[in-house]
Amino acid sequence: MRIAIDTGGTFTDCVFVRSGELRILKVLSTPENPARAIEDAISKILSDSPAPPDGALDLTCGTTVGTNALLERRGGRVALVTTAGFEDVLEIGRQARPRLYDFFVERPKPLVPRQWRIGIKERVSAEGRALLHPGKGELNRVVRLVRKGRADAVAVCLLFSFANSEHERQITARLRAAGFSVSASHEIFPEFREYERTVTTVENAYLLPVMSRYLREIDALARSRAKPRRSAKSRVRVMQSSGGIISAATASREPVRTILSGPAGGVLGAQYVAELAGFPHVIAFDMGGTSTDVALIHGALRTTNESEVASLPVSVPMLDIHTVGAGGGSLARFDRGGALRVGPESAGADPGPICYGRGTRPTVTDAHLLLGRIVPEGFLSGEFRLDMERAREWVGRARGPMKSAEEFAQGILDVIETSMEKAIRVISIERGYDPQDYTLVAFGGAGGLHGCGLAAALEIPRVLIPKFPGGLSALGILRADVVKDFSRTVLLAVESRRAASSALQTEFAAMEKLAVKDMRSEGFGQSQTRIERLLDVRYIGQAYELTVSVNGDFVSSFHRAHERRYGYSDAKRAVEIVNVRARAIGVTPKPALPKVPAGDTDASASLRGEHEAHFDGRAMKTRIYDRSRLRAGNRLRGPAIVIEYSATTVVLPGWRARVDAYGNLLMERTR
Amino acid sequence: MSFDPVRLEVFKSIFHSVAEEMGGVLRRSAFSPNIKERRDYSCAVFEGDGEVLAMGDHMPVHLGSMPASVDAAIRALELRPGDVALLNDPYAGGTHLPDLTMVMPVYLPRAKRPLFYVANRAHHADVGGAQAGSMSLSREIFQEGIRIPPVKIFENGQIVRDILQLVLANVRTSPEREGDLTAQVAACRVGERRLLEIARKYGPEETSKYGRHLLEYSAEMMRATLRDIPDGTYEGEDFLDNDGVTDEPIVIHVTIRIRGARAEVDFTGSSPECAGSINAVKAIADSAVFYVFRCLVNDQVPATSGLLRPILITAPEGTIVNARPPCAVAGGNVEASQRIVDTLLRAMARAVPARIPAASQGTMNNLTFGGRDTRPGRSGVPFAYYETIAGGMGARPDRGGENAIHTHMTNSLNTPIEVFEHAYPVRVRRYGIRTGSGGSGKFRGGDGIVREIELLVPMQVGMLSDRRRFGPYGLAGGHPGKHGKNQLVVGGRRKQVAAKGSFYAPAGAIVRVETPGGGGWGKPAPRKGKTKRSSD
Repeated sequence: MRIAIDTGGTFTDCVFVRSGELRILKVLSTPENPARAIEDAISKILSDSPAPPDGALDLTCGTTVGTNALLERRGGRVALVTTAGFEDVLEIGRQARPRLYDFFVERPKPLVPRQWRIGIKERVSAEGRALLHPGKGELNRVVRLVRKGRADAVAVCLLFSFANSEHERQITARLRAAGFSVSASHEIFPEFREYERTVTTVENAYLLPVMSRYLREIDALARSRAKPRRSAKSRVRVMQSSGGIISAATASREPVRTILSGPAGGVLGAQYVAELAGFPHVIAFDMGGTSTDVALIHGALRTTNESEVASLPVSVPMLDIHTVGAGGGSLARFDRGGALRVGPESAGADPGPICYGRGTRPTVTDAHLLLGRIVPEGFLSGEFRLDMERAREWVGRARGPMKSAEEFAQGILDVIETSMEKAIRVISIERGYDPQDYTLVAFGGAGGLHGCGLAAALEIPRVLIPKFPGGLSALGILRADVVKDFSRTVLLAVESRRAASSALQTEFAAMEKLAVKDMRSEGFGQSQTRIERLLDVRYIGQAYELTVSVNGDFVSSFHRAHERRYGYSDAKRAVEIVNVRARAIGVTPKPALPKVPAGDTDASASLRGEHEAHFDGRAMKTRIYDRSRLRAGNRLRGPAIVIEYSATTVVLPGWRARVDAYGNLLMERTR
Repeated sequence: MSFDPVRLEVFKSIFHSVAEEMGGVLRRSAFSPNIKERRDYSCAVFEGDGEVLAMGDHMPVHLGSMPASVDAAIRALELRPGDVALLNDPYAGGTHLPDLTMVMPVYLPRAKRPLFYVANRAHHADVGGAQAGSMSLSREIFQEGIRIPPVKIFENGQIVRDILQLVLANVRTSPEREGDLTAQVAACRVGERRLLEIARKYGPEETSKYGRHLLEYSAEMMRATLRDIPDGTYEGEDFLDNDGVTDEPIVIHVTIRIRGARAEVDFTGSSPECAGSINAVKAIADSAVFYVFRCLVNDQVPATSGLLRPILITAPEGTIVNARPPCAVAGGNVEASQRIVDTLLRAMARAVPARIPAASQGTMNNLTFGGRDTRPGRSGVPFAYYETIAGGMGARPDRGGENAIHTHMTNSLNTPIEVFEHAYPVRVRRYGIRTGSGGSGKFRGGDGIVREIELLVPMQVGMLSDRRRFGPYGLAGGHPGKHGKNQLVVGGRRKQVAAKGSFYAPAGAIVRVETPGGGGWGKPAPRKGKTKRSSD
């Protein structure tokens, strides 16, 4: 039985298939030990189902264990072995401060303090030539020092090890022989730029103890619940930030690849539901309580090596997801110059928005409530009632120069939508993609509240609210393929395409040999594995690369990509291949999303009532629908509100919505 | 003057994102490490009269000086649709010669005058002159490189080849320059396109009206800040070690008068302009004042010209903070600018002591080198390189200073060693924290850096650095940070080299720079060596 689990801050969502049907279960998360919520969910799933025929459990998890350990600095005690003379690279970083105009600015403290950064006397040149070999005595000395530090894990990152990893292999082998778990940079991330490579390698070592503890627990859980017990077939896999899954064993060795696994699931889920609905080009928009994630999907999923988590760079491939500090809990205030500011400060869970009963500062959620965009009793199926009177009072008090609480509330929404519009511009227009060619997939607790407004602002023609807006991430995880990424920095000038191709053959052959071996351990034979070959290319002299497929004329593809991204290209300029990348994909079986019962165009069977809501300063009679009772083919006309267990959708005046065969809500403009 | 607080916030965000987007294009498509890796550039949006509406969070030293560029371009040239102005003349809108600035007008179709201007400035690794890297000791601007008054590099959408050829013929690494200039034009174009979209969406009148509101709003944010500072007259003084020609310290003196919501900043009493190349033009003094007061605003505030409206700046002509032609100015932007900040902070520490840090390293440790790459396989191509090296941050009234970090007027990144050695005939021997260089105090100043670079071929090396004689000051009883050192190691023998100057070094020589530590804050605890640190 396949179960996908997405651990979030408040809920742990599970999507699974029972008797051929896709189901969803939400349990409360247990932040102090995420495995408890998973155990709870599995018990619930198994208790009300007869034992599945083969009895084995197949779990795939999206996890925040890595992110949280980094944010809260609860990782292991790490020793770093690096080239002597460069022990401080980890601390100096890029020598810049994170905020420019702040006398009190602080940088994040390095994950390894100075006394455990150990220099080894060795050196490799830029061309990969060994200039100074670490002798036997030197290797022994380093192992002795590491032992003295009683480290939980060791990170090894030597200068130019991407060009020649011999010295790194030597010290890694010695340390492993001495019983240490070691993250070596040539294994984790053999690409150039020493600071970013060092941090990524250190992060991996830092997360090793936490992640392997967590995965051991989940693994034990899966085996103990399987029937027969300890079934060899039970399996645990983990979502990576790149959008592919890997075995728990791999994730325990390379935890840095899982740091943003939750958001990655959301992007996959959005891609899937939109594709089913017939719209392959998607902007995914996931708005929660404190932050919003946006991503653009145009064919293959795009990854980036320039992510940041907890103010530290993370250079392994991650889906290109842009996050902004704007969510339902974002706080509104007037600054000293008289502008209305919303976020990035958030009311969080405590005190929360005013309408939750304790907060006194207006939030985006309060604005929605005041304007009638959310319904007081329509929250978590009425388990939790929102306090309208309280919201009206406190929002009224804070309204500053605005004429009414409603006008203030509308202003809060306009400002927050501007921040989100900016976020979407970053991943679309700034990368050379026109939002008019895309479908906005809005999800997360607050996505549906802003879908129409954002689409209007960016001239996006349609908005799709998926059937499970709260379980989309888990759905994406359930459908993910097994993916292993390989790369190496080569810095190869392309004098002729033919000469480059033969050099590339050698690079790819070596990488693919490794890929086939790794995929076998993930359970995929050579014939079941697909390998994509990619190149990071730039004009000689530039610092940033564009990734293109190796198929066909990659030089022309690069010129075209440069034109699209930066508005110009120069076919006469020489290009260079910076990194060679291979992506091995093992395709997993995919459960299909079920269709919903069909009805006619009339949605009145799901009508729950009517109330007054404000749009553009006007109070309008607005119908309220119950999402769970909508049928395929139903049509709604804005203004309307659609409520469901953990999310609300607003159909603005001038917009209409219809329910497609899969229960997705598709909204388009009527004028 | 009244505005809608919501719409104001919307426009603030829009204009800022235009500047940031221009920066993204410039950084990612540029060719020299100085722009792409070190991010030594700025992009800005101006309204039709040339006042700044938004600047990307790039380089503080460009804050006050970008408006001067647009102003100079508008005065000198009639910029029509499709034109782009290029300039670097410090005496006509520039700062120092390596900073090449482009200014482009943004016209609505059939409009008579531009609705906006966009501009960007990038520090190019070489603009010719006597020394590779164009950042060393000179006595006149004519020795510092090619001087470009405002000229059209694009006219009616077409590149002006003559101008481009003239510029490229005067620099050491012309293919790189051409690539960088192309990236600068691309950035202007992106800014133009975005502003036209905005004007179409909101209407040109509404858009320019909110531009003006934004200026007044920033002025109001600054007035609120000034009202929080006690009224009074506060003086400060600090020194540059010397001008590199004589050994006399150079005084920067400031008197700050705070009266309610207004401030006057007067540099009368500063040394006359000097013989070496650390003279600042007035735009740099403006930038330093802009920077310090913007830091005092206790909120995120956009970098518009409005911020300076309540502040009157007096910088007497012919002094080190407002030099006249033909003074050499390469170091004004990078060295004098840092000392002007130190001076302003010293004065402000008397007004609001709990909000002012002790002196940070106070120099950018500018290192340039160039020559011909005679390594096998590199066919002797010319190269020129420029970098600045971080140092210690001054301790704050409630915590220590950060180690090895860029402070105040710069925030450029380092070039990764693995990029550096790939691109140039050098080998980095050591890159570490200079332990113990921060000044002691109740809170310790941050430590500087030790950097050793081995030269693999013979080349010309230039240094422009300060705080080699006077360490960065401490505050409230804190001790000064250690001053910096520049050395050259040839054949195992170490010798001091001048803080400002250039020399030829043989293959195998090692340039060694130790950067200053930050000053301490508060009296050190009585027991020695037991003071609080920011890190470890």
